[in-house]
Amino acid sequence: MFKMSEYALVAAMLSSGMAVVAYLAYVLGGLRAARMQSAGGPVRTVSVGFSLGPGLTNVGLYGTILAWLAFAFLGLSLVFRAIATGHGPFANQYEFAVAFAFGTLAASVWFEARYHQRIISLLAVLVALGLLLYATTIPNNIDPLVPALQNNLLLTVHVATAIVAYGSFTIGFVAAGLFLIQPAAGRWGLPRPELLDEIGYRAIVIGFPFLTLVIILGALWAEVAWGRYWGWDPKETASLVTWLIYSAYLHARIVRGWRGSRAAWLLMAGFGATLFTYFGNMVFGGLHSYAGL
Amino acid sequence: MAQNARARAITGPQAVTETHDDVSPASIDRVLERLWHLLTSMRFVLVVILALAALSLAGTLIIQAPPGVFDDPQARADWVAQVRPKYGSWTGALETLQLFTVFSSVWFKATLAALATSLAACSVHRTTGLWRTAVRPAVSPGDRFFEHAPQRDLILSGNTPDEDLERVRQVLRRHHYRSLLQDDGTLHVYADHNRWAPMGSLAGHLSLIVILAGAIVGGALGYRNDSFVVAEGSTAAVATDGLAVQLLSFRDSYYAETGAPADYASEVVLFQDGREVGRHTIRVNDPMRYDGLSFYQSFFGPAVALTITDADGTAVFDEGVPLAWATNDGARSVGTFVLPDANLTVWVVGSAGTDDPVIKPGQVRLEAYRSDGDGSQPIAMQTIDQGTPATIEGLTVTFERENAYTGLMVARDPGVPLVWLGSAMLLIGFVAVFMFPHRRIWARIAARRGGSSIALAAVGRHDSSIEKEFLELATEIRRALQAPATTA
Repeated sequence: MFKMSEYALVAAMLSSGMAVVAYLAYVLGGLRAARMQSAGGPVRTVSVGFSLGPGLTNVGLYGTILAWLAFAFLGLSLVFRAIATGHGPFANQYEFAVAFAFGTLAASVWFEARYHQRIISLLAVLVALGLLLYATTIPNNIDPLVPALQNNLLLTVHVATAIVAYGSFTIGFVAAGLFLIQPAAGRWGLPRPELLDEIGYRAIVIGFPFLTLVIILGALWAEVAWGRYWGWDPKETASLVTWLIYSAYLHARIVRGWRGSRAAWLLMAGFGATLFTYFGNMVFGGLHSYAGL
Repeated sequence: MAQNARARAITGPQAVTETHDDVSPASIDRVLERLWHLLTSMRFVLVVILALAALSLAGTLIIQAPPGVFDDPQARADWVAQVRPKYGSWTGALETLQLFTVFSSVWFKATLAALATSLAACSVHRTTGLWRTAVRPAVSPGDRFFEHAPQRDLILSGNTPDEDLERVRQVLRRHHYRSLLQDDGTLHVYADHNRWAPMGSLAGHLSLIVILAGAIVGGALGYRNDSFVVAEGSTAAVATDGLAVQLLSFRDSYYAETGAPADYASEVVLFQDGREVGRHTIRVNDPMRYDGLSFYQSFFGPAVALTITDADGTAVFDEGVPLAWATNDGARSVGTFVLPDANLTVWVVGSAGTDDPVIKPGQVRLEAYRSDGDGSQPIAMQTIDQGTPATIEGLTVTFERENAYTGLMVARDPGVPLVWLGSAMLLIGFVAVFMFPHRRIWARIAARRGGSSIALAAVGRHDSSIEKEFLELATEIRRALQAPATTA
């Protein structure tokens, strides 16, 4: 099962890599088409509507299929690993890196199905690929669980919830990044700012309740295992910082003067805090620094 | 939080700008009014949230003193000296600014207080609006609304207004909208769906106050002992309620392959006034609970079982002494016990290991002090071998065997139920607001020559899902209105 999990992971990495190439070809082709249209005549409103050659459309479709394949392979890899370890595949940095990538791929395919913005998928799959590459650099051996982690239900639910949140936040980050690099509405053939704004918002509307659930489940678990529901452990605190930034974002979006790019900056900061929460225990230790590193 | 977004965005036609013509002469009123305005302003909330985030971030980036350390001047000085190499000349400033104890600092408490006050003010501020929207919504929003609403549609039909009203309401019923009617010559219909869901926003915001209240209650009324130690075979009293814990055994086991810990298990019996009331094997994920009190596995270490008899041969002590402290150089573990009748306080010092030249493995050193003395000079000091009785101050002391002690965390936190209640409210709030979004649509049905004209409108500025649902609804209504009048 361990070997199977490894093979599925390699397959997922290959699919992600090829998906990135296909998406990139599609997006670059689309951007060029948009630029030529805007240079050639009156600027057309460019959302998804610029004309693409049939070849380019196919390339985009390949990207989508490959992203789905990567999603499926990575899901399989996690299932195999869960069978091999006998617990949710979330017990060390390696397992959580793979799970984070899985969450990102899941969010990517979901948002593409809903909003059809392959440039978002391109960047999200790139993030997932980066996480998978990072995962290959850290020990992936299966170690038995230390006493604090011996709570199969909470381990699985707490971290499974976290990957949904983190995956959504990746989409929010990508949408905000595209929003911010846009010089003016719709230039370069990027998605419309309003659409990017809405995708970012939708991502947080999904991710934020899940992050809340992660923190609450973490508090429940901490009460059982560590004797207090909250203790300002660095990872707890970092997750609170993330939560606060996203709640600020949700409020900022309806305040005049904060809408638009300031809200987008908050999304960037929120993702920064997410990564800090994820990588932070390597820097500051604390009770969450478990096996593996 | 985004609930606000929706509620604000769709304040819609009943958004009334209140004008305060009667300026109160009393300046205190003006101050209060301004304060209220500040507390209910979204900008203020935003700043407070970001300030909390910044403080919390500082709390992860700057090393935080363990709880309690700053209560004791000596411990505080030691701790600060220990981090000084890392922070250099910044150390003093960080200490003065309470940044080594961010989460109990004035800054943090003040920001939390501001947040709680603002949350309360906003909740009060918004309740009436939410209530009105649910109970007494504006059915007839005025003609301008139908011309300017973000979502709108105009349908012409060949039926009478009453006929169209019935058809419109049929469609709305099919979509589980309740509809309200107002007839002033023109027919006005207001319909909505999930009208109580916006209250979830209120629950979600108030939940944070409930959680904070839980934390305050726990801090004020709770009891916590992080270092309750009891040795195997011994019983130790818990500081409250005549409770005592006896440790039957402690086992620590390790994985053969990695050497990583596999299990810590303390088999204990709980006594209330000498009567057994509980028996449990406490593990890291399995605390013992009794009457609001929880016992958690926390740490462990070596203990020394001693028996002491007096000159008459009567046993005066037969217990394990946890060696839960360390000598100043950290090399040897130390424990202590008191013999009240003999006015003795005895320190037990364990061996540092095979390299220890003074106390060899299999030996302990006993240092006896007068309990009422100043503790500077031991009246007796002796290193004794396991199994060999020794005489100290007329008492016969035997080091029976080495065993283990367990370190438990004992806690009573009456705030916990509030914290879970708040957590549940928070999640219920999210579910209500995000999974059952409040949807509203207005219709105006007016007679025209040869039929009626039906204007539809909805408000969803920043939300394409509202737009989508409106389009579906409008399309269905259009189809219903333009269908031949067979069954109507």
